[in-house]
Amino acid sequence: MNALTALVANDLKQRLRDKSVLIFGLLVPVALMTVLNLAFGGLGDDGPALKPVTVIAGVEDEGPLGDAVLESLVSSPALEVSVQRVAPGDVARTTLDGGSSLGIVIPKDFTESLTTGRAATLQLTRGSTPSLETDVLISVVKEVVNELHAASLTASAGRIAGLSPAAASDLARSTAAASPLMALKESTAPTEQLPLSASLVAGQTGLFLLFTVGFGVVGLLVEKEQGTFARIRSVAVPPWTITASKAVVGFLLGVAASTVLLTSGMVFFGVAFGSPVVVGLLVMSAAAAATSLTFIVVRLVRSAEQANVAQSIIAMVLGIAGGAFFPLQSTGFLATVLELNPVGAFIRGLGISAGGGGIGDVLGPLGVMWIFAAACTLLSRFIPDRSAAQ
Amino acid sequence: MNPVLAIAGVELRRFFRDRSNIFFVFIFPLMLILLLGIQFGVGSAGPIVAVAGGEGTPLARDLTDRLKAEGLTVRPDAASAVRRDVSRGSTDVGLFISEQAGKAYDDAGPVELEVLAAPDASGQTALQALRATVRDLGRTQLQLRALMDGGVTEDAARSALARAKTSAVEPTVQVMESGGVSSEFRGLGRFDLGAAQQLLLFVFLSSLTGAAALIQARRYGVISRALAAPVTAARTMTGLALGRFAIAGVQGVYILLGTALLFGVDWGNLWLAMLVVGVFSLVAAAAAMVVGSMLDHDGAATGVGIGLGLVVAGLGGCMVPPEFFSEPMAAVSRFTPHRWAYDAIAEVQRHEAALQDILPHLGVLAAMAAGLLVLGTWLLRRSLARAL
Repeated sequence: MNALTALVANDLKQRLRDKSVLIFGLLVPVALMTVLNLAFGGLGDDGPALKPVTVIAGVEDEGPLGDAVLESLVSSPALEVSVQRVAPGDVARTTLDGGSSLGIVIPKDFTESLTTGRAATLQLTRGSTPSLETDVLISVVKEVVNELHAASLTASAGRIAGLSPAAASDLARSTAAASPLMALKESTAPTEQLPLSASLVAGQTGLFLLFTVGFGVVGLLVEKEQGTFARIRSVAVPPWTITASKAVVGFLLGVAASTVLLTSGMVFFGVAFGSPVVVGLLVMSAAAAATSLTFIVVRLVRSAEQANVAQSIIAMVLGIAGGAFFPLQSTGFLATVLELNPVGAFIRGLGISAGGGGIGDVLGPLGVMWIFAAACTLLSRFIPDRSAAQ
Repeated sequence: MNPVLAIAGVELRRFFRDRSNIFFVFIFPLMLILLLGIQFGVGSAGPIVAVAGGEGTPLARDLTDRLKAEGLTVRPDAASAVRRDVSRGSTDVGLFISEQAGKAYDDAGPVELEVLAAPDASGQTALQALRATVRDLGRTQLQLRALMDGGVTEDAARSALARAKTSAVEPTVQVMESGGVSSEFRGLGRFDLGAAQQLLLFVFLSSLTGAAALIQARRYGVISRALAAPVTAARTMTGLALGRFAIAGVQGVYILLGTALLFGVDWGNLWLAMLVVGVFSLVAAAAAMVVGSMLDHDGAATGVGIGLGLVVAGLGGCMVPPEFFSEPMAAVSRFTPHRWAYDAIAEVQRHEAALQDILPHLGVLAAMAAGLLVLGTWLLRRSLARAL
């Protein structure tokens, strides 16, 4: 045990002196989190809350339906809308220059065309910046136009079926005023996802954990190349302690770097990940999974340089597939494969924890990481050691 | 042999001898471009709606048909799987069709459907589309009911509605882009934007990680021995930079041609795109020389190379298009070579720009390359006085 402690202490000292650990484990991920937060910040808020918007309207229609479209926008429960009326020819320019969400031109014969079943075209102009608000506004306009058309169709069908024009018009009015026959009972899913800022912090932490842990275990190959491995084995130290010390160092570096990164994210970006106990368990499990992966790497390669390259490839592939930069949408077999990714499980676990989940709720992600760690450790026992074969 | 070319040749041979470079330089960029195109590219699959229950019913069939017509991806699944996928974000909206809802729909009665939406923006967009589709279906039911309440038989009502539909012209809502950000990406193919961004990101990143090679050359005394010969520091630096430039240029041209052939990326005038990549590669090579001369540890240089490569790429618009940047962020991005190269490629790719249109961009890139090369030469000379 004393030998193990001494080896771990010595290795930790060496790794901390090595600037690569500091650069890969802390500086690069923090810099990336900052840049990605700034860059993605322009894409909108984390939440779906809709902001108040202005619609630029140019109305040529002299009938009531043009105004009905604008009325329905203003009274939409989905978002707060104010309408600014301008000349129809100025709608596009005003929408772009004023930063409005939507421009709308209601043509001269809109009411007449709708009521008589002739072609009617409503022109919408998107604002200069794509936004959820604009999409919602477009949906509302389409919805209103469809409702007006449906009422007109009902009247027309009534006349075709032999009803008097007055009775048919009454039917149209009652159709327009009636409560919808089909309704949605809406609810929001208990989320296992992190908001954008938090997912960037968690993703970068998971990605660079794989790099940081690698520095500890790849030290084994450096020892072999420098001849210190043989010298340690020549003294009365159990052989397993040498490998174990590298694993412990990798694990400790991973846990320390991840803790600092998540804490930095909480301090600098105001994100939260929930219970420290659950987060701690997730960090330790992810570090264990990452450490076990390096056992396979060190047996597959012949030199420390090769190990670093292999480690980088694995880290980038697992990181991107796990959603370190952006979430991947997938279904079927691919989704199942992606779920076995420890980086993805780590991010998912933090999402559950951030949503108030306890240890029982994160057993799924924890299980993925534990199984991954056990499988890699077991597999590494059966892989021939190529560095020893030199 | 010219010493500059000899040094550049050695750099090239050393690079291609290491087979692991092949992954990051040639395979990984194309994999990422493919992935980004599939996930986020123009024409990628729309929001995903998972439907649980109602198998084979007219309600499920009508809903599925209309949702697909709206561009949404619809797939059936078990209720528990739908709930899990929505909460994990792999599905945007879950729709649950009960047996009663199916029967009520058949009888033109009131139908209630349970829906579970992801809380993010994508989930809300999908929910909005689902609301509109359901209302649309409900309207048809409502029309039937109104006619039947007015004394028309069900068959006559259906027939009258069908006739009314054929005789009337459906109103259209025409959505136009007003210019600005929305119109910037009009006409781009699924992989076009991602290919331009990843091209710049990887050319710069690969070059910067090559800074470690310069440190090794210093450590093994190669540089000192080269300078012992009648070769100046400037020529040595030029030779080393030329080697990195050749690697960056080969990678850039490979990505340009590879994405055009494999993914049908339209680069506009390919020769102009190659010219932009060529000048950008010069900046990348010179930046690698600066990093390689400033640091003394090759491991640290690799870390700084990857970190700097990713951070500068992010600032320069290679992760999120700079068109979406806030004003201050856009101003900062002008200090990166990526932004100038991105803008030049965008001009060529989207606006059929000619050489004179992108000359300002090329000028800025060339000035950056020259500045970094001078800085690198000075730093290299200083670095030789330090012990490694």
